[in-house]
Amino acid sequence: MPPKRKAAPGQGNATKAGRASAMSTPGPATPRSLDSSMMSDGDDDFDEDVTEAQREREALLSREADDFVNKFTFKGKRLQGQDDEPAGGGRRADAATRLFKKRDFSYLPLKPDHQNRPLWIDPDSCTVVLERFNPLAEQATDFLITIAEPKSRPTFLHEYALTPHSLYAAVSVGLRPRDIINTLERFLKTSLPDVVRRKIEDHTKSFGKVKLVLKHNKYFVESVDAEVLQTLLKDQVIGSLRVHGSGDITTSYAPTMGGLVIPGTQNAAGVHQANLRQAEKKPGEGGDASNEADLFTALNEEDDDDDKEAVHAFEISDADVETVQKRCLDIGFPILEEYDFRNDDVNPNLEIDLRPNTQIRPYQEKSLSKMFGNGRAKSGIIVLPCGAGKTLVGITAACTIKKGVIVLCTSSMSVVQWRQEFLKWSNINPDDVAIFTAESKQKFSGSTGIIVTTYSMVTNSRERSHDSKKMMDFLRGREWGLMLLDEVHVVPAEMFRRVISSIKSHSKLGLTATLLREDDKISHLNFLIGPKLYEANWMELSQQGHIAKVQCAEVWCPMPTEFYDEYLRANARMRRTLYAMNPRKFQACQYLINYHEARGDKIIVFSDELYSLKQYALKLKKVFIYGGTSQNERMQVLENFQHNPEVNTLFLSKIGDTSLDLPEATCLIQISSHFGSRRQEAQRLGRILRAKRRNDEGFNAFFYSLVSKDTQEMYYSSKRQAFLVDQGYAFKVITQLANIEKTPDLAFATPLESRELLQRTLVDNERGGEDDVETDDLFGKPGRGAGGRGGGRKAGNGVRRTAGMLSELAGGQDMAYIEQNKAANKALKGKGKKGAGGDGQSKFFKGLQREKEKSRARG
Amino acid sequence: MSGGQQSYQLSEYLEKLPGTTFRKLYQQPSTAFAIFRRMLPPLAKVFVQALLYMPSPLLLSELDVWVRAEGKMQRDRALSILRSLHIIQITPPGKDKPQEMQLTTNFKNSLRLALEGGGSHNSFGVPSTLPVAPRIDIAHLDGYARKKWEDILHYVVNSVPAQNDGGGGVSGGGPKTSVKELLLIGRLVERRHDTQAGVGITQAGFTFLLQEANAQVWTLLLLWLEAADRAKGEAKGAANTDSIDMLSFLFMLASLELGRAYNTGALTETRRNMLPHLVDFGLIFIPREDTRQYFPTRLATTLTSSASSLRSVSSGFNAATANNPGDASSLGTTPETSAASKGSVIIETNYRLYAYTSSPLQIAVLGLFTQLNMRFAGMATGRLTRDSIRRAIGFGITADQIISYLASHAHDQMVRAAAATGRPVLPPTVVDQIRLWQLENERMRTSAGFLFKDFDSLEEYVSLSSYADEVGVLVWRSDKKRMFYASKIEQLRDYLKSRKKAE
Repeated sequence: MPPKRKAAPGQGNATKAGRASAMSTPGPATPRSLDSSMMSDGDDDFDEDVTEAQREREALLSREADDFVNKFTFKGKRLQGQDDEPAGGGRRADAATRLFKKRDFSYLPLKPDHQNRPLWIDPDSCTVVLERFNPLAEQATDFLITIAEPKSRPTFLHEYALTPHSLYAAVSVGLRPRDIINTLERFLKTSLPDVVRRKIEDHTKSFGKVKLVLKHNKYFVESVDAEVLQTLLKDQVIGSLRVHGSGDITTSYAPTMGGLVIPGTQNAAGVHQANLRQAEKKPGEGGDASNEADLFTALNEEDDDDDKEAVHAFEISDADVETVQKRCLDIGFPILEEYDFRNDDVNPNLEIDLRPNTQIRPYQEKSLSKMFGNGRAKSGIIVLPCGAGKTLVGITAACTIKKGVIVLCTSSMSVVQWRQEFLKWSNINPDDVAIFTAESKQKFSGSTGIIVTTYSMVTNSRERSHDSKKMMDFLRGREWGLMLLDEVHVVPAEMFRRVISSIKSHSKLGLTATLLREDDKISHLNFLIGPKLYEANWMELSQQGHIAKVQCAEVWCPMPTEFYDEYLRANARMRRTLYAMNPRKFQACQYLINYHEARGDKIIVFSDELYSLKQYALKLKKVFIYGGTSQNERMQVLENFQHNPEVNTLFLSKIGDTSLDLPEATCLIQISSHFGSRRQEAQRLGRILRAKRRNDEGFNAFFYSLVSKDTQEMYYSSKRQAFLVDQGYAFKVITQLANIEKTPDLAFATPLESRELLQRTLVDNERGGEDDVETDDLFGKPGRGAGGRGGGRKAGNGVRRTAGMLSELAGGQDMAYIEQNKAANKALKGKGKKGAGGDGQSKFFKGLQREKEKSRARG
Repeated sequence: MSGGQQSYQLSEYLEKLPGTTFRKLYQQPSTAFAIFRRMLPPLAKVFVQALLYMPSPLLLSELDVWVRAEGKMQRDRALSILRSLHIIQITPPGKDKPQEMQLTTNFKNSLRLALEGGGSHNSFGVPSTLPVAPRIDIAHLDGYARKKWEDILHYVVNSVPAQNDGGGGVSGGGPKTSVKELLLIGRLVERRHDTQAGVGITQAGFTFLLQEANAQVWTLLLLWLEAADRAKGEAKGAANTDSIDMLSFLFMLASLELGRAYNTGALTETRRNMLPHLVDFGLIFIPREDTRQYFPTRLATTLTSSASSLRSVSSGFNAATANNPGDASSLGTTPETSAASKGSVIIETNYRLYAYTSSPLQIAVLGLFTQLNMRFAGMATGRLTRDSIRRAIGFGITADQIISYLASHAHDQMVRAAAATGRPVLPPTVVDQIRLWQLENERMRTSAGFLFKDFDSLEEYVSLSSYADEVGVLVWRSDKKRMFYASKIEQLRDYLKSRKKAE
């Protein structure tokens, strides 16, 4: 064990865990109990399967996290708030009042100069409505993004919601309740309702008062309020845990960013520091409310007094951190964790800096300024659209902290990409960026460095190779400065607990485009990683040209009668296949591919349904990649797609949803999808947002979602679009594709062919009736990897080679795929199994290769 | 200016009237004047003005000199309007004589009187000489008219609160029963049991709401005239002169002065009988303490003016009462009023709708097809949903009506943004979606016909159904249920008869 291990040893029992979950809450806190429990299991036991006890505990933890989340929602407080509102008689009611039930707030009087103010607030649900066309809208947006969750951001009016999480995030980046209230008051058209004021006070007064700081590798409990600290010291539990002899309460000055400059920003320290201060201490008080022009300037003004605010701290020993954290939560002072990396002399510094020519974009800077608001690193999540440069944000954070970094991503493909990005943007020594995947287990040469790995490599608890084990020991035996969590939305909370418990880092930065989960588990991330620090506005970035402009369309494909008949009779599983295999949809897909290939677009077609994926791809003679495609083949296909002018269309299963970087793609067609998953829709859209050609004059990327009319797909489709639509994207409904009947070689044009397709679909899928839909996250099943495929591998990582023949292709990562595989085999027995196996190359790919060679020869 | 939808309805009504009615109508200078002001396109007005003091008929061919060749269409239109309103006479074409035109005698005389003044026709009302209560000023009248008319509109949008509802007591119990019946007869509303007020809006009602205030008044007045006609027609079995008198009284009201008291004693009996109804509509005000006086309200005096042609449901009123701060504040009008008349509704691409209005009426109208969410002072939010649009369609409101409502009430910002980017004002996706939601409900096709079932024997069923198939009237058959459906019955009946006979 390294000497500076920050967690307490021992005591991995259930009661402990229970307490810990409550404590691991709103903080960028590492749930220490897990650390300890892992340690009590002993390092050597790590590779054992998840024990029953552990499972139970995880369930318990997640339940308690739920409870905690519930505790922090406003709903519970609602009644209480209403008591204080003016009684019914005091409100004005008119003929329209009843249309709003309880949500008529027109009794709130407008301020005389309300036209100059951009906000309304709903005192009940704390929804804030922002006028985008108001002169003060920019400032108000900056402010709201700090204190509230964006709900709807189309063109003219935006909606934000004040939630306990968002308020917590606001406090953690340095805003004080008083500042939030004053600024709100200034921006509001009406005066701030008392209910809201009280809610804000309730939810912020306790947050962020007390900080746990790792300074010179000693833990300090720190507060700007001496009285709070006195209260803590008088507390029986905490008081006794204080380390004596280090002087009583030490008083120092609050960190003021000092000379910290986030690399890559445009200007030198002076200007930059001002920016950061802005984030740090937004609304100063004073300033005349009526003086609108100066309003925001006033907000940014810093009191000199504030600048040198005294902080008081006392030391506690490493072993007692957990107890103190827990106790603090119990007595209403949740502890905020920060990493004072500049004063960390124990962990060696990493030689890393952004390349001199690298410049980060304003929104990236803004998001990072939230993270490093007061010169220390806060843990949290940064939400940027796909293609908006999340990686660079991560790298810049690493360059700021300059300590050991561990990067966790979702697939071995993105592991490679992350490493390349590090080398591209920073001056790090290539030897210091190591990769830990099933294939490659490197360590960095120096005393510290960067490790890029996948979630499953770190959490896999089944038997693993000697190398992996050694590697894990290496990872677990160190203290990391920064943990970068890529695509943080896909990882279930349980897995996070395990990640966080096995690897210790001073700060954690989660990166994602879509902080959404249909199961609403996303709020757990707020507790496990930290608050959401920043969320970018998709539309704004697209208008500024940082991400591509996209035309979205939903194409309605009517179902032929015989298909619809079957659809009505089929079970849920078959229904999904049927609406994906709808011949009209097939035609629409064919038509769109033809159309866009002719325009010179590169097209990605997404299908969740593996059966239809293959059917479509084979029929249309296009390349495809799915879970069962081998790594080499993938690379080959992707390379062809990117560089071969003959290969313009790529079919992808859901494995391509995230982290696949294909800047060539400019058009996306979706033929089947995962129910109503808003996240998947947004992630898929993300595949074309980084289009290379995005800054061409009048360039548009295209996103088509094909849905079979009158099926459940329509319903799911509207659900799926909800997130994007709230971001301001407009989905145009296309009911008729012009001249589709003139498409050459239109598939299934005759009723006979269409019936044959139906019969074939039914037969092929009859026995494959088991649910073969891939789970929504790559991590749906912890400890997956059974079924005779050696442990420790993640999706598509060194999977056996398969050929392009249908008979061989029906597999996936799960057992279920193998089942279906068999069924497809049986169904296609007559066709034989020729061409399969062998060198693992289908005729088609051979053809491709020949073509490639030819073109090479020509070139 | 006055050529919009509103005058169309009135002119439609007038055009149906026989020539004799016009002759009688034009005996009143006020009527002639009102028709001249309100019903004529500018070119027709020019013609009338030119002809008015012309001693002799004008050769029709001379008109060609007045009008440029490219204006021929307008000229013809003007002439046809003038003829249909019996304002000019044109001699029939003949070989011996060229066509001539001149004003009809009554119209000419009355219009001259109206312009010159004089005469004892009292056609422009007889001012009351009695003292006027000081509380009755223009503001009072506006407030009164506004309330009366909004009550009616509220009733149409079906948002009249029950008596014990709406604590502020802004609205009373809605309009008088007679007015309610009139709305029912006019099919602006229909009885429904699923709504609070027991009635629900119809498509015609929604069209009515979309009109500007002035046109709404005329719609209602014409409904009323027609109803009165019918009632009298049934009673006496003959056309009557009353409706002419009623109509000319309306025209007279339009020429009265706002804020001035007029003498009820100087009215004919027919006209006096009209007063209570006009009070219900809010066109006139009669003080309770002195029924010998009546005051025309703004609704009445603007009947024939075209100044209000840009107004709509609520904004018409806001504009009409804009000079009346006391009343405005009591009704919760905020400074957004001026914005409201420019357009107040923002519809976003995510179907969220924001209306800068505090008019309960406009909110209620929006509520017909929007799922309302929150309301602030001067602002209401909601969103268009499949359900909300379907509900509206259930009332008979069409997607196009909703779209045109949104378009005509689009907020300034939307208009400006659209102009800047060269895109349509309303997000096209939303427009499409509203239409698609409507189409969703229109997938059932019906065909009238006859169902044959309960056959005595299979053989009878088979022979008759196959015969139906042969003659091509078979629409649907089910051998299992021994039922079939045919579009025509005659041949089958004959076939059955002949079969019976054969047996």
